[in-house]
Amino acid sequence: MRVRQWWRDLAMGVRFAFAGGREGWMRAVLTAVGVGLGVALLLLTTALPNALAVRDDRAAARNDLYYGDTETKVSRSDHSLLITNADTAFRDQYVRGRELEPEGPRAPLPPGVEEFPARGEMVVSPALKDLLESGSGKLLRERLPQRIVGTIGESGLIGSAELAFYRGGQGLAEKLGGGGVARIEKFGLSQGASEDMDPVLLLLILVVFVVLLMPVAVFIAAAVRFGGERRDRRLAALRLVGSDSRSTRRIAAGEALAGSLLGLVFGAGFFLIGRQVAGSVEVYDISVYPSYLNPSPVLALLVGLAVPAAAVLVTLFALRGVVIEPLGVVRTAKPARRRLWWRLLLPLGGLAMLYPMVGQGRDEGDFNQYLVTGGVVLLLVGVTALLPWIVEAVVARLGSGGVAWQLAVRRLQLSSGTAARMVNGIAVAVAGAIALQMLFAGVESDYTKRTGYDVSLAQMQVTLGDGEPLGPSVEKFRRTEGVRQVYAYSGGYVGERRTDPVLGTQVTVADCASLREVATLPSCRDGDVFAVRGADYDTDTQKLAKGGRTLYLDPSYEGDVKNSEVPWVVPSGMKQAQTRPDPTGSERGGFLITPKALPAAADAALEGQLYLKLDESVPDVRDLVRNTAATIDPLREPMVWQSVQRADRYTAIRTGLFVGAACVLALIGASLLVSQLEQLRERKRLLSALVAFGTRRRTLSLSVLWQTAIPIALGLLLASVVGLTLGAVLLRMAGNGVRVDWPSVLSMTGVGAAVVLVVTLLSVPPLLRLMRPDGLRTE
Amino acid sequence: MTAPAGSLLAADELRKAYGPTVALDGAEFSIHPGEVVAVMGPSGSGKSTLLHCLAGIVPPDSGSITYNGREMATMNDAQRSALRRSDFGFVFQFGQLVPELTCVENVALPLRLNGTSRKEAERTALGWMERLEVDDLRKKRPGEVSGGQGQRVAVARSLVTNPRVLFADEPTGALDSLNGERVMELLTDAARSTNAAVVLVTHEARVAAYSDREIVVRDGKSRDMERVV
Repeated sequence: MRVRQWWRDLAMGVRFAFAGGREGWMRAVLTAVGVGLGVALLLLTTALPNALAVRDDRAAARNDLYYGDTETKVSRSDHSLLITNADTAFRDQYVRGRELEPEGPRAPLPPGVEEFPARGEMVVSPALKDLLESGSGKLLRERLPQRIVGTIGESGLIGSAELAFYRGGQGLAEKLGGGGVARIEKFGLSQGASEDMDPVLLLLILVVFVVLLMPVAVFIAAAVRFGGERRDRRLAALRLVGSDSRSTRRIAAGEALAGSLLGLVFGAGFFLIGRQVAGSVEVYDISVYPSYLNPSPVLALLVGLAVPAAAVLVTLFALRGVVIEPLGVVRTAKPARRRLWWRLLLPLGGLAMLYPMVGQGRDEGDFNQYLVTGGVVLLLVGVTALLPWIVEAVVARLGSGGVAWQLAVRRLQLSSGTAARMVNGIAVAVAGAIALQMLFAGVESDYTKRTGYDVSLAQMQVTLGDGEPLGPSVEKFRRTEGVRQVYAYSGGYVGERRTDPVLGTQVTVADCASLREVATLPSCRDGDVFAVRGADYDTDTQKLAKGGRTLYLDPSYEGDVKNSEVPWVVPSGMKQAQTRPDPTGSERGGFLITPKALPAAADAALEGQLYLKLDESVPDVRDLVRNTAATIDPLREPMVWQSVQRADRYTAIRTGLFVGAACVLALIGASLLVSQLEQLRERKRLLSALVAFGTRRRTLSLSVLWQTAIPIALGLLLASVVGLTLGAVLLRMAGNGVRVDWPSVLSMTGVGAAVVLVVTLLSVPPLLRLMRPDGLRTE
Repeated sequence: MTAPAGSLLAADELRKAYGPTVALDGAEFSIHPGEVVAVMGPSGSGKSTLLHCLAGIVPPDSGSITYNGREMATMNDAQRSALRRSDFGFVFQFGQLVPELTCVENVALPLRLNGTSRKEAERTALGWMERLEVDDLRKKRPGEVSGGQGQRVAVARSLVTNPRVLFADEPTGALDSLNGERVMELLTDAARSTNAAVVLVTHEARVAAYSDREIVVRDGKSRDMERVV
């Protein structure tokens, strides 16, 4: 009976939600759009693990090259394939490239490729095909001139925007065993067990998810209450015709249920649209195929059940303190004062859950995922619980100023809950983001290291092949547009014996100007040789630096292929040099030799390194350099120097946070606007009346601004306090010292404030329209 | 027609349409200082539109309205708003009190909009509330008072600026007869004591009985009952 009564009341509420003509539908659609946006974001989140897993699987399935000993294990057969890395870059985009040479008819095809490209041909990803065929890809086309004979299928790519190619090769066997060429019999080679996730990174990921999802949950809770005031009047009418108060609340819950059910449908639609859109966009070098974004069925079911259930519960909870009287007197008297004690329990409980894990990150210990998630959730839910109390307590003490201020303050005093609900989402998002920014700033040094490269001296580096003559290459780069200077070095190793030397040291060959960049020289002219002092870990140079002693460049080692073993006599008039950090940031030891002091045969024993100083004002200067490098050796990819290098995972998490925070803030901004407009529409007649007796429109606009700005200011203040507290606790958990990253605190609160300002500005035109005298018309 | 001699507010050949619906079709009107004129007519006849046009809330499509010898069509929106703040007062069917403000703050609102200090405005407001017998409600919010009390607060608000014209649109429409009569007594007495003209829109003969003159609006056209009789 009781269940049937519940069901009947809820069903009646559902009917009410869609009854009432255009107004009723409008309200239901607004609610559904709000809930739908939240549901779409939740579905997207539940689909993310799957998308990442699919990406990982596809990456693993095409895995071909890795540093190991496979090339010695696989012998030539009709099912072997020679493969080498031909990766390149275009502007800031990575281009995955492989050169293939099948050794028999049964050689394995890479995933997504139907036929091997012959020499002079290539198969490319759809995105690379588009790029190469476009005007902007002209420079890349110079580097990849092969004829395009096909495209790589989805199974061979990890994202819709991935730039990738396979091209046909020839003579790769000659480079086998040293030139980066491997012989394989299948793709999808295992690289062994995946490494465990760093606990601090795991902590970051957990917090990012909680911080992004919490505001969405808060938003959904607010969205199901759109149209609350008009609904209250309708409920009073129900009481008048004999509905008891419990039944009336259930009917109200039914209305919210209708909005949330329609919201689920909208959410599924938004998600499907977003899924298609996601296939055509690339965010921070990450793209996915729509098919990757499949929500986990269990999580999707959970969303499908939790959202309507939450709608019913939130409505019943919200109406618990509301007296619905038959004469339409709903919440007209001042509501009971909010209690503080239970609101404080939530953040304190959160802190209590997190506190036991303080310092664990320092010992590489594991974080309890449930405690972390629970603690962060409680702290952030604490914001939503504390904010209404704070807004109420503060506005009760605000004095009256001008008319606009008085109207706003009085309105807040009468119903601060609505205002607090509106800013709850933003406060939670800002609190979470501040905490994360603090955590990121704190652990940044752990995951970001200085590379040591002197980017003021050179910005790119080209490594030449063994024995490749330096001179012609240097000349080619000097002639390349945008290259200001070329520092050319040949490097190698020298030992005291032809084979298996006991003593050995580094050899660097370059002209005097280039040598001065790696050591402090007393004086220098072509023909000089220097023994370098002061380099770390260099114990043999001074032992080998005996005039007249014969040393051997590129000595051989037992069990390895025979190297060039070029003899070189140490000159008697050798000078001493003091080491200093070279352009790559490391200190060189060994011998520094000017070109004339070395026999011509030594070229074969040395490997060339070119450091290029670029004119950054030349457009696409890096690609011009890459094109020159490709003319020397198509497999030679120049390296771009960076002063700092971040761990990839750290970058990926930070990227996730930025994208997520942007989505969440946009979503909350939209909900604020909808809620604001709804409140204004409720007051249409009153606004018109105020205008009728001469109230300036500016006064009413200012009052709307104050009405939003006061709770927002309080919300951001609370968000800052909670965010800083959470950030400090997370930093202590990660084992780092607590340091407040004020720029990020200010920027996050600034973003929150900007959202409010935009929403207020957007609501002014409708406000002005609502203030028209038409509002006074009754017929 | 030119404005009758001595009239404070007069309208001639007013036309106003909302889309295809014609609300006023050549309506005429005039009122003298201290006079109470009832505008009567059935629902949808255009009487509220006439009031809105006379008060400068809605501009007519054509025709002329002169207030104190000045053509209102020549005034811009800001000037008309200023006029409503200083010279006109309004009472609507449902009071339209601001629910967040206390009763005394509601009554003081028009003065505050005119730049009077809060203290001074509330002191004057309280005086009017006493005259309308609602001074005991000064700290209550509109939601906490009865309909009749709320309407008296609204009347006090309409009179607080000592308007020269008071516009009352169905001021007793939401009240029982006893409360309605008391509100009308207080309204007309207060208006007469300040020599304010009252434009009283009503469809109740009982309410119209408080007026000096009646005008009937039907199908957008007005007729002066005295002339008909």
